[in-house]
Amino acid sequence: MTALLETRGVWQRFGGLVANSDVSISVGRGEIVGLIGPNGAGKSTLFNLIAGVLPPTQGSILFDGEDVTHMPAAERCQRGVGRTFQVVKSFETMTVIDNVIVGALVRNTVMREARRKAHEVLEFTGLAARADVLASDLVPAEKRRLEVARALATEPKLLLLDEVLTGLTPTEAQTGVALVRKVRDAGITVLMVEHVMEIVMPLVDRAIVLDLGKVLVEGKPADVVRDPKVISAYLGDRHAVGA
Amino acid sequence: MDKNFAARRRRDLIIAAVLAGLAALAPLFVKDVYVQNILILTLMYAALSQSWNILSGYCGQISLGHALYFGIGAYTTELLFTKFGVLPWFGMLGGGMIAAVIAMGLGYPFFRLRGHYFVIATIVIAEIGLLLFQNWEWAGAAMGITIPIRGDSWLKFQFLRTKLPYFYFALGLCCLAWFVTWWLEDSKWGFWWRAVKDNPEAAESLGVVVFNSKMGAAAVSAFLVAIGGAFYAQFLAYIDPESVMGFQFSLLMALPAVLGGIGTLWGPVLGAAILIPMTELTRSYIGGSGRGVDLIVYGALIVAISLALPQGLVSLFSRSKAKSQVKGATR
Repeated sequence: MTALLETRGVWQRFGGLVANSDVSISVGRGEIVGLIGPNGAGKSTLFNLIAGVLPPTQGSILFDGEDVTHMPAAERCQRGVGRTFQVVKSFETMTVIDNVIVGALVRNTVMREARRKAHEVLEFTGLAARADVLASDLVPAEKRRLEVARALATEPKLLLLDEVLTGLTPTEAQTGVALVRKVRDAGITVLMVEHVMEIVMPLVDRAIVLDLGKVLVEGKPADVVRDPKVISAYLGDRHAVGA
Repeated sequence: MDKNFAARRRRDLIIAAVLAGLAALAPLFVKDVYVQNILILTLMYAALSQSWNILSGYCGQISLGHALYFGIGAYTTELLFTKFGVLPWFGMLGGGMIAAVIAMGLGYPFFRLRGHYFVIATIVIAEIGLLLFQNWEWAGAAMGITIPIRGDSWLKFQFLRTKLPYFYFALGLCCLAWFVTWWLEDSKWGFWWRAVKDNPEAAESLGVVVFNSKMGAAAVSAFLVAIGGAFYAQFLAYIDPESVMGFQFSLLMALPAVLGGIGTLWGPVLGAAILIPMTELTRSYIGGSGRGVDLIVYGALIVAISLALPQGLVSLFSRSKAKSQVKGATR
C-alpha cells in the first residue's frame, strides 16, 4: 500500500534562508509519526508546506496518491488533511460548538448534521461540557483541545498536530497523549511536531528528526534518542562523544 | 443544548414577528406626517444597517463605501424609469443585481487588502462613484433627476397624498433584511463568515474558501442596500449624486450596527431605533440655532454609548455576552 503522505525532495527558501532542503519523508496509513528537531530545524515550515499554507520552492508533495503540491489549504482540507496551529487560532467570538461546526461543515452541508457531528466530536475530545462557552473564555489547555476538535470535525485522513502538547501541565499533557492515541485508534493517521521529548517519544511509532532543514535521522523512537547525531544536534558535539 | 439553540432561534423569530406586527399598527396612532417620516427613515436605515452588517459585521470586512450601492440602486431605478419607462419594481431588482456584480468586481482586488487598507479603499471607491455621477451628463450630472409624477399607484410605486405605502414598504424591507440575516446566521455561509472574521488562516485550514466567502457576503449585502436605495429614490421623488451617494449614507449604515452591536442579529435594528430618531430630533430641535450644535450632541451620545457598552446595546440583553464583558474588564 502506498504511503498516505509523501514529500519528495522538498525545498523551501525564504530569500537567502534555506528552511527545508531536500526533505523526503513518508507517513504510512495508521501511523503516529513524530516530527522533532531543535528550534529552527524547519519543522514548522515543513508542516506548513504539508498543510498547504504555501507551496514549496522545489519538490513535490503527495497525499493519498495525488499530487497536492500547489493545492490551496482549503482544498487540502477537503481531501482529508486536518491541522492545528502552534499558536492557537480559535474563533474567539464564537462558542466552542460553533467553532467545531465550522470544521464539520466541510463534509456536512445540512446544518443539523453538521451540528450533530460537532457534538460527537466534542464528546470524543472531552469538551462537551464547554459546548456553549465562548472560545475566548477557555483556558489554554482547552483551547489546544478545541484546535484538535475542530480539525477532527473535518473528518481528516491525516491529522497534523503542531505542538499540541507543549506548554501544558504534566496532567494536561497526559490527557493530550491519551487523546492522540484515541484519534489514531479511530483510524486517523497522525503527524505531530513536538518539543517535549519524554512525552512524544513513548507515543509515536516513528520519529523523524530534522536539523538545519534536512532530515537528520529517522526511525523507531528508542533508536532515534540514542543516535549520536541527534544528541549532537540537540546538545552540541561535546555530549555526543560520550554517547 | 441543541434544544436551547433551536429555542433561541424560534424566540428570535417570534420577537421579530411581534415587533413587526406592532410596527405595522403604528400608523393607526401616528397621524403626524413629520413623525411618520421619521418612522420611515428609521425602518429604512434599520434595513440598510442590517444589510451592511452582513458584510461588515458577520464577515468582518468593514466597508465605509456602501453609499455607492445605495446610489446605484437609486440611479438604476430612476434612469430606467425616466429614460426607458421601466417600472421601478424591475429597476429595483436590476439595481440590486448591478450593485451585487459591482460589489464582487470591487471585491476581487479589494479583498486582498486587510484591515484599515480595506476600509480606505471602500471610502475612496465610493467617492469616485460620486464624482462619476456628478459629471455624467446623461444621468443628470450634478443637477440630478426629477422623477415625473404619474399619480398615486403601487404599480409605479409613487404616492403623493399619503406616506403610508412607503412606511409599509420600508417595514417590509426591514423584515426582509432581518429575516435574511436570521436565516444566514444558521447556515454554512453564516458560519463561514464568522470564521473568516475571527481568523482567516484557521478558517482556510478548515476548508473555508475565504475569498469566496467574502465575495458572497459582499454580493448579498450590496444587493439589499441597493433595494434600499431604489426605495429612497422613489420616496424622495428626486435624486442627485450627493443626496443618494454622499458619504453620510455610508456612515448612517455603519453607525446603527456599531451602536447596537456589530455582527449581531438585533444590533442594527436596535441601533437604528435609537440613532435615527435621535438624529432627526437633535436636528429639528437644536439644529437651527447654532450651526453644528446638533452634531456635537449627537457625536457626544455616540461616544458615551461606545465607551459604556463597547459591544453595543444588545449586550444589555444578552447575558452570556454581558458576562464575558465583565470578565474582560476585570482581567
